Order: sequence, then C-alpha cells, then structure tokens
Amino acid sequence: VSAFARARYLDVWFLALITVGMVILFAAIQPSWLNDRTLQSIVAQNAGLAVVAMAMTFAIISRHIDLSPGSMLALIGAVIGIVYRDTGSLALALLAGLGAGLLSGVGNGILVAGLGLNAIMVTLAAYIWARGLAVGLTHGDPIVVHGGLPGFMNSTWAGFSATAPIVLAVYLGGWFLLRRTRLGRYTYAMGGDPVGARRAGIDVRLYTTLVFVLMGLMTALASVIAIGQLASAQPYAGGGLELDAIIAVIIGGTRLAGGEGHVGRTALGVAFISILNSGLLNLGLTDAHYQLYKGGVLLSVLSVQILLRRLVAEQLRRRREQELLVDQAAVAA
Amino acid sequence: VPSFYRSSNLHVLMQQFAPLGLVTLGQMLVLLVGGIDLSVGANVLLSSVIIADLVQRQHQPLAVAIIAGIAAATAVGVVNGVLTAVIGIEPILATLGTLLLAAGTAKVILASGWIIVDDTFFADLAQHNVVLNLPIMVVLMLVLYALVAFGMRLTPFGRMVYAVGGNPASARLSGLSVTRVKILAFALGGLFAGIAGLLEVAQLGIVSQGDATGMEFRAITAALIGGLSVTAGGIGRVERTLVGALIVGMLANYQTIRGVSPTYQDAVLGGILLLAVVTDRLIRGRPS
Repeated sequence: VSAFARARYLDVWFLALITVGMVILFAAIQPSWLNDRTLQSIVAQNAGLAVVAMAMTFAIISRHIDLSPGSMLALIGAVIGIVYRDTGSLALALLAGLGAGLLSGVGNGILVAGLGLNAIMVTLAAYIWARGLAVGLTHGDPIVVHGGLPGFMNSTWAGFSATAPIVLAVYLGGWFLLRRTRLGRYTYAMGGDPVGARRAGIDVRLYTTLVFVLMGLMTALASVIAIGQLASAQPYAGGGLELDAIIAVIIGGTRLAGGEGHVGRTALGVAFISILNSGLLNLGLTDAHYQLYKGGVLLSVLSVQILLRRLVAEQLRRRREQELLVDQAAVAA
Repeated sequence: VPSFYRSSNLHVLMQQFAPLGLVTLGQMLVLLVGGIDLSVGANVLLSSVIIADLVQRQHQPLAVAIIAGIAAATAVGVVNGVLTAVIGIEPILATLGTLLLAAGTAKVILASGWIIVDDTFFADLAQHNVVLNLPIMVVLMLVLYALVAFGMRLTPFGRMVYAVGGNPASARLSGLSVTRVKILAFALGGLFAGIAGLLEVAQLGIVSQGDATGMEFRAITAALIGGLSVTAGGIGRVERTLVGALIVGMLANYQTIRGVSPTYQDAVLGGILLLAVVTDRLIRGRPS
C-alpha cells in the first residue's frame, strides 16, 4: 500500500523538487535574492493569493470555479475605502467589507446552486462587472485608509508581518474544514458525483452556496490584507489574482474535474507560484520577458505532471492485473 | 441618440467591431469542441506586432509581413490544440500559458512603446468602402463568417466539430479523430485571431502594448450571449454568434457616444452577460 501511496504523490514530489530547484537557481543567478528576509517578504507579498487559493481549492473540488475574486477584491476594497472615508470608523468599514464579501459569495452561490447556472459564466460576468463597479465607484483613484489597519498589517515579529499568522490560520482552518467537517465531506461528494450527492440526501444547494460564501469571505480577508499593506484601497488591486489562484490549485494536483484535492497540495502550489513570481521579478526582467518565462515554466511543469500521472495510472493498472492473475492462479490451484 | 443611427456611425461601429467579430468566430469553434481559449487577445497583439514590425522596421514586402503575422498566430493556435488534445492539459490553463508566451513574445518584438503604420494598404482596408458604406475589412469578416457557416453545415469538418463537442467518447468510438478535430478548431481560432490582428492594425494605424488586452473575455462574453456553452461543447450556431458579437460591439459603441466612461461600460457588459445567462436558464429551464 505504501508504494501505491508514494506513487500517487509522484506529481507532488516533482513539484516540490522543482520548487526547491527554483530557489537554488534564483539564488545562484542572483545571490542577493536569498537572504534572511526573503521568506518573510514572499509571505507578505503573496498572503492575498494564498488566502484566495485556499478557498479556490474548495470551489474546484466541488467541481466549480470562481473567476471573480480578483475583481471582487477591488470592489470589496472600494466599499471599505468609501465607508472609511465617509464615516472615519475603521470598525464600520471592516464590517461593510465583511458584508460585501458575504454578499458576493451568497450572490454567486445562489446563481450557481439555486438557478443551476454554470460557475464559469456567472463568475466571468462578476469578473467584468465587479471590476467596472470598483473603478467606477472610486473614480479610478485609490482611497486612503488608516485607523490602525496599516500599522497592524505591517507590524513585524522576527521579520514576519501579521500576514504570516493569518495565512497559517487560514490553511489550518481550511484543512480542518475539508477533512473534519460535514462541509468538507460534502464538498468532495458534490464534486465527485453531483447527482449521487443529491440522491444521498445532501442539500447540494446549501453546501454549494457555502463553498462560494467561503470564497467571498476569503476574498474580503485578502482585500483587508491588501488595504492594510498599502494603507489604501486600490481600484485595480487583485488583477490576475484569480488566474494565479487557479494555477496554484491545479499545479498542486487538485483536479479541475472535481472530487479530488487537498489544501496541503494548494499550499505547495502557492509556494511554487510565489517563488516563481518573486524570483523572476527580482531579476529585473522586463514585463515581456517575465511573461515569457512564467508561461514557459507553467506549461512545462503542467505537461510533466500530466505525463507522471499517466505513468502512475498505467503502473497501478498493471499491478492490479498481475494481482488478479495471482488470485486466479490461487483459485485454480 | 440620433447620432447612433447615422450611416457614418454604422461605418465606425462596424470598423471597430470587425476584429472582435473575428476573434469571437474563432472562440466559437473552440467552445464547440469543448475547449476555451484565453490566449486570443495576446494572439491578436502578436499578429499585429509582427505585421507592423516587418512592414515598418524591417521594410519587408507587405505580403510577407501579413503572412508571417497570421502564421505566427495560427502556430499559437496549433500549440494550444496540441497542449490540450495531445498532452491533456486543461484548456483554461494551457491557453493561459500560451497567453503569457504570446504576449511576452509580442512585447519583446515591440520593444519600444509603439509602431506607427503608414502604409496606405492598411488605411484602405479600413476606409475604402465596398458596399453599403461598409469598408473592406468588415466585408472580409462577414465573408469569413459566411464561409464558416457553410463549412459547419455542409462539410464533414462541421459535422465532426459538433460530434466531438457533443459527445467526445462516442465520436471516438465511431472512428473520428477527436485529437485532430480539436487541434484544427484551436488552429482556426489562432488563424482568425491572426486576421483580427491585421484588421486591428488597419483600424488603429498604430500598434502598442495594450492593444487587445481583455479581448478574450469580450469574445467569450459575445459567444455566450450568442448562445454557446462553456460546459458542453457541440451547442451553438454561427449566425447567433455573430449576433452576440454585434450586441457586445454595439453596446460599447452606443455607450461611447453617450459618453459613458469605459469603466462603467465594463460594469454594464458584465451585467448584460449575467442577464443573458439568467434569462436563458429561465426560458429553457434547468438541464435535467
């Protein structure tokens, strides 16, 4: 059994190897990149991505997807910024942001689960309208937010900012939700076999909506992190966040077809993307070369992972056939 | 708004609309075989950059430049097809990867900010009217739509696209080369993006980094409004796709005339897409 288990994680081992290889490569090219602050700054810069990717894992395991968190992050930020500017109260602003996050999750959830619409269409629409609304509401300008939030978010302990415990808590919470609660079990069940899940008496509408609510809440958290770090709400914040989050989940080994996956795998995927982004940006590349390298690395890693998975599946099939033959021989004897 | 109905506006509208229309046509083919192509916007940019660079900076003959630009875009389409159909990467991720590659290559070639294209061939393409106040580029787009519409109805390829998208397993069992049909659909998506790049050069007369960003989402929106599905391939018609693209194109044009800011235009476009999807569900009912 242990050989099978090891084989199943072959793609994860490969990704881990590539990630470590990247660290060594980037450090070799530019030794100044790797210092006693690198880890801290990578965590701080990618905290929003990490938080959103955790929720994206739930969405993808349940056979859905969410293309809207990048735009929603900006819209929730606009709400927080406007409430803070008009009332001067950070508590009220954060509450409004929480409400906006909840609302976005419930809205997407009801459209997907209640009306049975395809998640790509619903969240593609949200990707477009939420960004438009965010830029429109703020007139395209950042809104300054103080009131202790930037101080808290940028306070450091051993070089780690407040984002480190937040990310850690989110992943522990995500692991617990997925592995130890009804929501987690049903998320796997709905993704693996939606019709079977309904027949088994699972309230698919409720639990699908909850998956999107989790996404809305994590997006709101990512928005608060971004506002704290920049001391302002930016209308163009979160651009491309949804795609990086989806890459992190899929490259970690959670399948887009649903029913399989793990937040631990996503954590590794986030580490991979974060180190790739950080290392490439540190090389001082132009935007053009950055895109070229990122695209090339992503496609190569995805291709190799798929080939590895096929290899493992083939090996498992052969072993089963052999066992079957041995069994038959035993019966015949 | 009377100015919306002027024939001069019809000219402008159709001119602005032609590239999006072609990209949507390509997206339709990809959606029909059950894929999705995020790389089309970058692919349009790649084609227009190559054409502009070869004509203006390298002083190559016009034909060479145009063929090179369109060929590069088609090659990206083929790569998309191979990555998804042969290797088996999910289309949304494979085309995100090629989006980065195509955009990166385009920007490397572009290097400095922009290229102004002053060859009269391009201006003629956009300005010279053929029929009904419609310029050559628009007629070219409509002809391609007509060709694809006939192709889908009357050729084996068209039937194969619907078969592969509708039910890949049974298509494979009945002896169709699913892989080949998928690659061909992605390649045609690239080809149309390449031609759209040529039309962008004609319409704008200048090529810069930000051209055609987000066009993939506008094209997908147009296709969805036109009745295509992102979940199931094999559903959708060419003429409805054209209507979907026209709606997206007209919305942008109308709001620009009304002076609606581009940001709220996006909000409206997203709202319309949502409305289209919801109405479709309410009219047709839930899938069983």
